[in-house]
Amino acid sequence: MQYHRPTTLAEALRLVAEPGARVLAGGTDLVLRMRDGRERPDALVSLGRVAELAGVTLGAGSVRLGARTTLAELVEHEELGRLFPALLEAARVFGSMLVRNLATVGGNLCNASPCSDLAPPLIALGARVELASREARRELPLGDFFVGPRETRLAPGELLTAVVLDRPGPRDRSAFLKHTRVTVDLALVNVAVALELDRGKVARVRAVAGAVGPTPLRLLGIEALVAGQALGPELLAEVGRRAGDEVKPISDVRASAEYRRMLTGVLCKRALATAAAAEVS
Amino acid sequence: MKQTIRLRVNGDTYEVAVPPWRTLNEVLREDLRLTGTKRGCGDGDCGACTVLLDGRSVTSCLMLAVEAVGHEVTTVEGLATARDALHPVQAEFIAAGAIQCGYCTPGMELSAAYLLSRNPSPTDDEIRRGLSGNLCRCTGYQKIFEAVRRASDRLKGAAPPDAAAGDPAAGGPAGGDPSGGGARP
Repeated sequence: MQYHRPTTLAEALRLVAEPGARVLAGGTDLVLRMRDGRERPDALVSLGRVAELAGVTLGAGSVRLGARTTLAELVEHEELGRLFPALLEAARVFGSMLVRNLATVGGNLCNASPCSDLAPPLIALGARVELASREARRELPLGDFFVGPRETRLAPGELLTAVVLDRPGPRDRSAFLKHTRVTVDLALVNVAVALELDRGKVARVRAVAGAVGPTPLRLLGIEALVAGQALGPELLAEVGRRAGDEVKPISDVRASAEYRRMLTGVLCKRALATAAAAEVS
Repeated sequence: MKQTIRLRVNGDTYEVAVPPWRTLNEVLREDLRLTGTKRGCGDGDCGACTVLLDGRSVTSCLMLAVEAVGHEVTTVEGLATARDALHPVQAEFIAAGAIQCGYCTPGMELSAAYLLSRNPSPTDDEIRRGLSGNLCRCTGYQKIFEAVRRASDRLKGAAPPDAAAGDPAAGGPAGGDPSGGGARP
């Protein structure tokens, strides 16, 4: 196995295009998969030295998260948490400190785990992913990026270079909630919501649930239910009853499908209430 | 195939020939013989393999050795900066009796040192979160939290609460302890 450590994006893209090449970012997933023999790449292309992929950039209208920004960097960023509370909360409860210091934004998304903690808040916040190859650049809504467990729309030779978010407006709110049995665990269910409140009513909303389907799922029925409404106790109770109908969880060693449906309702209700700073019963 | 890499560990430079798939944990233990860094689960769950990379705590079992090139690695052997003196975290682990079998201790101490380097006055909750990636199967964590609290007090220059009152054998951290971290500013 070859090991490459390019220092420019152009060089990285050339190496990623080679057959049998595999991108190495934080390594928290890939190193394990290689050890277990589930992946046998011919070459590793480390992104650790590619400056173009590093760090958070605050633009006038948008915010760019370089693909190899670590989860710890998201948590420590001075502005990010104020702009995107859902993203901060997800990064805060992501794995352990030891993992957050290694794991990257791009790695987590390209890994396409159904229980990613990062994907639901980013989808709810309307994030787009920048994809680059030697030939072309393109942008895709993150909501369209996932195909199934460990499967994305990345084409061979393509690299996720950044996640781009629009700066929120003054009436934008967001929240993220995750349920696990112990702190450092994969989500049984996680839910992220992002909404715009106009005079107490929901002007625009995205609600996304993770670990309850092959990919993170938009809760479109819930979005339609609360659109234009004030998030009062009755409406939130209705959200709690109905959100579970919109997901397709499996039963596994962590939780039954039925429990995950119930949790989806509870977390969705609470996340909406948290985002709107409304009372919840 | 092996490639020769240069690793900076605890201020020393090592030249080693490693294949790219070997983890930093394996190279530290097997090539450099720095066996203070343990291998526990090997999955990044237990934290026994914790090292600092440019001052940040990471699981060395999830990191390839070649990825550490150009970075400064600190293992438990390098935690104390002065010769014959312990880091305050190490001294307080001893004083608080926070060590039982000792297998998790190097990782715990590095995570604690990292936590205190970022946050000199952590709350109890912050200590728990900061150490949540390090598992101990002996102690029940209470003495470990106590040691971190005391190290925090000591690092801030305040007198730590006298937890060892009435038990001189426990060796309080204040003065008198030649191996204490007092030598460290």
